Amino acid sequence: MSPGEIAGVTALGVVVGVDLVTVPQAMTSRPLVAAFAGGWILGHPMIGLLAGALMELFALETLPIGAARYPDWGPPAAAAGALLADGVRAGGGEGAWPGLLATVLVAALAAWLGGWSLDLIRRANGAAIGRYAERLERGDPRALVALQAGGFARDVLRAAALTLVMLVPGGLVARALAARWRAPAGLAEDALLAAALGVAAWSAWRLFGRGRTARWLAAGLAVGCAGALLWA
Amino acid sequence: MGLSGLRAVPGFAFTTARLFGLQSAWSYERMLGIGFAHAMEPLLRPLRGVDGGARYRGALARESLFFNAHPYVTSVAIGAAARAELDGEAPEKIARLRQALCGPLGALGDRLVWAGWLPACSAFGLILVALGAGGWGVAVFLVLYNVVHVALRLWGLRAGWRAGMRVAAALANPVLHRGLEVVGPLAALAVGCAMPLVLVWAAHGAGLHLPWWLTWRHVVAAGAGAAAFALLAARLGTRFTGLTLATLVLGVVAVGGMLWR
Repeated sequence: MSPGEIAGVTALGVVVGVDLVTVPQAMTSRPLVAAFAGGWILGHPMIGLLAGALMELFALETLPIGAARYPDWGPPAAAAGALLADGVRAGGGEGAWPGLLATVLVAALAAWLGGWSLDLIRRANGAAIGRYAERLERGDPRALVALQAGGFARDVLRAAALTLVMLVPGGLVARALAARWRAPAGLAEDALLAAALGVAAWSAWRLFGRGRTARWLAAGLAVGCAGALLWA
Repeated sequence: MGLSGLRAVPGFAFTTARLFGLQSAWSYERMLGIGFAHAMEPLLRPLRGVDGGARYRGALARESLFFNAHPYVTSVAIGAAARAELDGEAPEKIARLRQALCGPLGALGDRLVWAGWLPACSAFGLILVALGAGGWGVAVFLVLYNVVHVALRLWGLRAGWRAGMRVAAALANPVLHRGLEVVGPLAALAVGCAMPLVLVWAAHGAGLHLPWWLTWRHVVAAGAGAAAFALLAARLGTRFTGLTLATLVLGVVAVGGMLWR
């Protein structure tokens, strides 16, 4: 990956990273979007889309509710899409499933790291508010602007760092894992699909498995299975 | 005050823009408080000339205190509190109004958006992707989701502003209640439908010409694995999130794949 591409993916990581909490919460931080865009930057959007769709199944569990700590999928997914597209560009189609498994695994770990970094940002914002407490008590509008700008700047730095962590050391780890894979590629495919669908099924059950929505979930599964049989 | 409509207030456009950055200074101590006051500030500017700016500064100090609700519908509280400040309501009444709105607005947004509209749109995007729409599936997801997202923020500001201290009436809006009734079943249907379609699409190599021999064997194996995984997650309950468990499983598989002989 060239320095220009790394800069482009990092910029994308910042956009999707600040989207999660800071501005504008338009859900560009969802892995379906971020990974597709990451792959698109490196000229292979479809591999990014495949990784994004699988990570989106994991992320169905992630509801960014208030003070809860939740994984930040945006920057890791953007970097994962780019890393996989870079692999396809280098002619790595045969090892695609082990590569996908390794990249999604590293992205999941980076998403946890992202959740932890959000906690740090919240604490840093709290410390900044403490420093401005006296001006806030006086109703100084410039204190509000300074706090909002400071929070935004911290989140930009956090998102950039998280993207680079996934892109550089994360990329090295993912490639090393994929290169050392000895088992049949189909095993990686089975495991990745089973884990992604398992998380989605578990999340769907927790969200909709009781009361009136349970019937709709069952109906959706029936329609989806029928559609899958017809389409395949 | 003579402020009959929101458009008559010069700060309307600025407040609308600032609604999208409500959580920039989110902290455990004040949660949305700083963003709340920052977004409301343009609407309070008519108060700068009253009492030498004391009412303006007093209002900003009050409005920057603790507030917590869903970020999209916090605009209801911002509109209502701004109206109350401009109408000269007693500070204690405004503080009680803010406090009273936290719970209902949080519950409304969580049910309507986080547990309803977001999974519905995400699943709809996944269905389109699995049916071969490619990047258009992503675009439809973003457009669909954000039509409601932006509409909620704008409606909230207007509804809160119109109602002022009587904002509870705005939350009884029949469209909101109908939305709450419909969005859960819609999300359940879409998520249920998306899972098998994505499985088959991915197992077929997602149109990427990846190796997909014995595709149906993979579909069955992955489907059975997913069912086993979900049952295990259910058995473990709240001790592990699905993602924690999946990360552990994938980690074990990655190590196993390296040690394979």
